Amino acid sequence: MKKKVNVFISFIVITALLLTGCSGAGDDHNESAESPGDASGKKVKLTALITKHPLTKPLAEMEWLQKVEEAAGVEIEWQEITADWGQKKGTMLASGDTPDLFIGPNVITDADFAQFQGLFQDLSSMLDQAPNVQTMFNEKPDTKVIATQSDGKIYGLPKYQRFWPASASRQFINQQWLDNLGLGMPTTWDELYEVLVAFKEKDANGNGNPNDEIPMDWPGGIGGYFNPAVLLGSMGITLTDGSGQGYFVEDGQVKNFLTDDRYKTMVLFLNKLYKAGLINPEVFTHDYTKYQSIARGEGDTAKVGFTWGWVASDRFGEQLAPQYASMPQLKAFADYNGKLSWSYDYYSLNYGPNHIVMSAKTKNKEAAMRFINELYAPEVGMQVLFGSIGPNIKDNGDGTYAVLPPADAKMDPGTWKWTSTMADNGAFYIPDSLKLTLGTDMQEVLGQSEPLEPALEVDPDKDVFPGMFIKYSTIDNNTMSLNNTNVMNLAESSFAKWVTKGGVEAEWDSYIKESQKAGLKQNLEIMQKYYDDYMNQN
Amino acid sequence: MESRKRRNTFRRDYQLWIMIFPAIIVILLFNYIPMYGIQLAFRDYDFSQGLTGGEWRGFAYFQQFIDSYLFTDLMRNTFLISLATIVLGFPAPILLALILNQIRRKRMKQLMQTTVYLPHFISIIVLVGMLNVLLSSETGVVGHFMKALGLGHINLLASTSTFIPVYVLSDIWQHCGWNSIIYLAALSTVDPQLYDAAKIDGASRWQTIRYVDIPALIPTIIILFILSMGNILGTGFEKIFLMQNPLNLPVSEVIATYVYKIGIISNQFSLASAIGLFNTLINFVFLYAMNTISKRMSETSLF
Repeated sequence: MKKKVNVFISFIVITALLLTGCSGAGDDHNESAESPGDASGKKVKLTALITKHPLTKPLAEMEWLQKVEEAAGVEIEWQEITADWGQKKGTMLASGDTPDLFIGPNVITDADFAQFQGLFQDLSSMLDQAPNVQTMFNEKPDTKVIATQSDGKIYGLPKYQRFWPASASRQFINQQWLDNLGLGMPTTWDELYEVLVAFKEKDANGNGNPNDEIPMDWPGGIGGYFNPAVLLGSMGITLTDGSGQGYFVEDGQVKNFLTDDRYKTMVLFLNKLYKAGLINPEVFTHDYTKYQSIARGEGDTAKVGFTWGWVASDRFGEQLAPQYASMPQLKAFADYNGKLSWSYDYYSLNYGPNHIVMSAKTKNKEAAMRFINELYAPEVGMQVLFGSIGPNIKDNGDGTYAVLPPADAKMDPGTWKWTSTMADNGAFYIPDSLKLTLGTDMQEVLGQSEPLEPALEVDPDKDVFPGMFIKYSTIDNNTMSLNNTNVMNLAESSFAKWVTKGGVEAEWDSYIKESQKAGLKQNLEIMQKYYDDYMNQN
Repeated sequence: MESRKRRNTFRRDYQLWIMIFPAIIVILLFNYIPMYGIQLAFRDYDFSQGLTGGEWRGFAYFQQFIDSYLFTDLMRNTFLISLATIVLGFPAPILLALILNQIRRKRMKQLMQTTVYLPHFISIIVLVGMLNVLLSSETGVVGHFMKALGLGHINLLASTSTFIPVYVLSDIWQHCGWNSIIYLAALSTVDPQLYDAAKIDGASRWQTIRYVDIPALIPTIIILFILSMGNILGTGFEKIFLMQNPLNLPVSEVIATYVYKIGIISNQFSLASAIGLFNTLINFVFLYAMNTISKRMSETSLF
């Protein structure tokens, strides 16, 4: 018996030795691999993390990226993240075990810089090593404001992609259904109601079944892109970046539409639509995939009458897109004479904060900076966004370029772009002087934005909340995010209840009081303070 | 005296000690050592200073949670969901075990047992996916069925009044069979002579259950009930989080999902730790109270 125990114990000891032995060897290996890189002038090894779109192909297969790494004399080991970065980030940063570079849209936020002090490299003193970044700061001073923290440090560099329209959301109605039923394009909410009732009661898509039409749909919830919150523009509210949490600016005041009387009016209208069966009954429970797929219809038969989206070919598929027309903003009432507005998203679509961030632990910072500088070169910038010269972009040889259509004819240009390159998630700068002809998808976006142009004639300095340019202190940031969690908890459930079951008028006053208690008042005070400071400086 | 007894057990039962040694290590490593992180609930989280370096804040974060706007809602929702799970979910496996025990044919019994265990192995994300598909008011089987019955468009997943029933019933369906195993094991220890004696005395099946089976189960029931009281505020996270949508949020926001939103999404580690610790303390109080009550009343207890 004793013998067996001894065998058992020695087994445990040996296993333990083996385990520690292995990890020890691993460490040695790492160190020996890194040191010769510098000494002999070979390529410097860097590690980098990118939050990319799930469709994007492996980074090793991007021709332009190979050339950029070559030019900068670096060899990058990529960690490619396609989902749940928000959840992975906290634990990764808290452990301090980070790659040399982070790339992605707001991949590390200003709040993270404040919370994880000392983890990220201040680039402000190294900018002389990156002339292309300096060019961006000089030509587009807004980018420098976005990059600079309140203490003057620069941890993350922004992107500028120039071509995108002033709003992410466009309003679509099925023109073919209107024609089938002999109806005109609605211009007010009441006319919209009449049209949607006709969509519901008659066989608008002409397939013999009068009950398979969904008159109106959106991704669910309140605020954000492609959301009925844009209808607040019918009463003059200019949303900023979709106003996901309700904040907007009017007459120098920071306000929140969630407690605005005009929001109540809109909720009443949506409730009227819902009661009449005009809104998709699953609007609050379906996920984004189902929301997208239902609008693609079946073959030539469209299912959705009125909705919001980025561009018709993406929202409805290439086959159904021609049936839909982009609409101008509606008037809330026939006798409404005030200004019409929309969601002004120009800054968030064309600029993005913190698209590339360097870790303070990077061993060879000069090499990392060389790589950053290469990324921000004009000809590289367009390849980061649209793909490599050759398969994705045509070089006309006279200093002008053109984005090529997808190699696979069945693929739409948007999908092609996201498959081929980092696209909007990359870090880059496209100067206004670059001569580039856009692909059909971007031309379509810009074309479909035209009906909204009158509503988007806003003064970006006065009517838009400069969210991207304001840097909050850590304490204020924490307070605000806690309050917003509480406010949105109340707002989301109230909105869903009022739209589906009604009752907004009876509950409005107590709802306002609850919202203030949940922290809305405090948040508005904080934001007003920062907003005033910002306006005084500029 | 006491210490000598303890030394004796090491010498006498050393083989047993060696056998549970790995388990002790695992529990120490993963359950006790990480507890030093609890102090995060009492201090600020400062990345540059490490876990223990932030400024000491005492009970400030507990105060913040108790004063918080959602406090009463969170407590009520968490309590209601766990209470419903315990009240309805606890007796179900006992009944199932008693019924299974009545099946005389061995093969049939084995088949039945395996069938009722199976749902336990469905992952939660798949289960919630199934609920979404089956209960969808437009396209689901249950939705069509209710429409056929003339109940109209009731979206079971998106209503404050149906969230708890859907949650609890699907939970029972999934885990009832698995949880009945322990009761079946307890029933298998009943001395067959008792059944024979009951038969000779002319007891009906119902009377056999009432006077033989149930008394045999009582100690197991009490122990398991005490353990379940330790979960009075423990709703679990994944299933509720996956079932949440804006329409059921007033009843489905529980402590676990709120901690996730505060701690992981908004990076407020200290507040999230305080809320988590608060939750655990209440669970512990309930567990301890139930244990004491049971010790007094029936002399069956955990410790």
